[in-house]
Amino acid sequence: MGVRVAGPTHRFAAMGEHAIEAVGLHRSYRSRTGWLRPQRREVHAVAGVDLTVGHGELFGLLGPNGAGKTTTIKLLNTLLIPTGGEARICGFDVVRQTREVRRRIGYVFGGDRGLYDRLSARDNLRYFAELYGVPGREQKRRIAELFELVRLTGREDDRVEGYSRGMRQRLHIARGLLHRPRVLFLDEPSIGVDPVAARELRQTVADLAATGTTVLLTTHYMAEADELCGRIAVIAGGRIQALGTPAELRHHADGRRVLEVQAYGVTDGQLAAIRARPGVREVSLAVHGAAQVLGVQSDAGVDVQADVLRELDGVRLGRVTARQPTLEDAYVAIVNRAAEPTPVAGPVPA
Amino acid sequence: MSALFRLVGVGGVIAYRALFNWTTPSIFVGTLLVGPLFQLFFFAYLGREFGVADDRFYIVGNAVLTAALACVFGGTMAVANERRFGTLGHVLLSPRSRTAIFLGRVLPYAGNGLLIAASTLTVAALLLGLRIPPTALPGLLLALATASLACGFFGLTLGALGLRFRDVFLISNVAVALLLLFTGVNVPADDLPAGIRAVGAVLPITHAADAARRLAGGVPLGDVLPAIGAELAVGVGYAVLAAGLLRVFEAESRRRASLDTL
Repeated sequence: MGVRVAGPTHRFAAMGEHAIEAVGLHRSYRSRTGWLRPQRREVHAVAGVDLTVGHGELFGLLGPNGAGKTTTIKLLNTLLIPTGGEARICGFDVVRQTREVRRRIGYVFGGDRGLYDRLSARDNLRYFAELYGVPGREQKRRIAELFELVRLTGREDDRVEGYSRGMRQRLHIARGLLHRPRVLFLDEPSIGVDPVAARELRQTVADLAATGTTVLLTTHYMAEADELCGRIAVIAGGRIQALGTPAELRHHADGRRVLEVQAYGVTDGQLAAIRARPGVREVSLAVHGAAQVLGVQSDAGVDVQADVLRELDGVRLGRVTARQPTLEDAYVAIVNRAAEPTPVAGPVPA
Repeated sequence: MSALFRLVGVGGVIAYRALFNWTTPSIFVGTLLVGPLFQLFFFAYLGREFGVADDRFYIVGNAVLTAALACVFGGTMAVANERRFGTLGHVLLSPRSRTAIFLGRVLPYAGNGLLIAASTLTVAALLLGLRIPPTALPGLLLALATASLACGFFGLTLGALGLRFRDVFLISNVAVALLLLFTGVNVPADDLPAGIRAVGAVLPITHAADAARRLAGGVPLGDVLPAIGAELAVGVGYAVLAAGLLRVFEAESRRRASLDTL
């Protein structure tokens, strides 16, 4: 484990001025493979994250898989200790004042797990109410309120094993809110949820922010972040690569145009060839069912459509459209820029 | 204080329903009542065949041992099953005392063990014709309760290892098999090698089984209190060890990211 950086406290704002504050947050892991000739490797999952989130703010943390989103959240919610830097929640240090931090946070993550399947939804909440210190006389009323908030009224006494994923997600949120946390971490809450359930989830999250709860949301869905978040940080390679309002982030794709081609069977070689065309800035390929959607960002003054279609000769094509960049395009630009190899510094001239 | 009692009492019972695998009636009866009863019959008839010891030795000793199955596996499930449900992270994010959360979980398992041991002893005594003096019953109940509690804390210690090692049920399986030999339930302690006797002295069941046999033989409660006290001390020792291990492994998981908390 690395040495924890003992930063001076004046780097933080006055106690509790911000809901979330992180300065130079680092977290590295050491892994070992092999027994006879063990090889040790150090991975820097979070490599110097600086972040402040105000009270009542709905803040988005976006990034590709393995970018460091979940590790950042685990550092902020006390499940992991940073190997460097410092973080505070409502003014309390996440390493030294864990109990104070835990009283003030809720944590919700996406997926099917994290609930006791054999118990009813009500018993799940009763148990976590005990764990999170909700006074006995308040529990019944609070649990009823939350069932209403997450629209599970009428299904409270059903066993969780019979719940759909969307219902589980809403129950996760209810669990995270039991003790009225001031800061709520939502780690990909809408993953694998159908569009209707996802819309309901977004409504629930928006309602929360309206009541003054600070929300830190991680998601892969740009539309979700765009709709909900006041500010967004894009993290890649363990570092914050861009931070601002959705409108500010869109500027990362300024001066560009986007060509979208629906295709069936684009090869890696063709992608590389398109990427090498003059004026092409970013190329992405998404799969939607049987079709691929090729996205080509180019300089606004360059029409790359003919070049792209030429490179796709022999590939069955569908719809071809040109459009203005969206937040998702800006995100792709930021993430791809972060993935580019850093130029090696040459010798310094005398 | 009432909040603490709620966490230990209400929390413990809900956690039992959430995490204990054998709560359905068919599995409970088959695994925890019928199976151990036949094990008891097996050793009782084996004892009769070889004349090593009388019926009281085997019936009472094995009846006390039946508490171990529910308590040791229950204590293990109380921690290890959190991984299965992916709830460990949420438990570890609780601001409440870990000692109260996890030690409270042992109480329902201990109650379970007491119920199983008492019913096994009753059925076996009736079917095999063992006469137990009515005056011995309160003392027997105390011995069985102490054994159950000690086994529960022993199971919790194994469960705490589940925070560090993934295949902790392997350890529980071996531990339950070892209790069969090391506690002197089926082989008189005097016939066991000194090393096994020494290990048995710090395992649950050993002292309670000895006390229960003497009580069933008509020895007054006062004379067996030191043995029951020793069983209780063993239980408290495991409770302290479990609390320590839970604390150490939780701290280690935060430092080394060694725990799959979610």
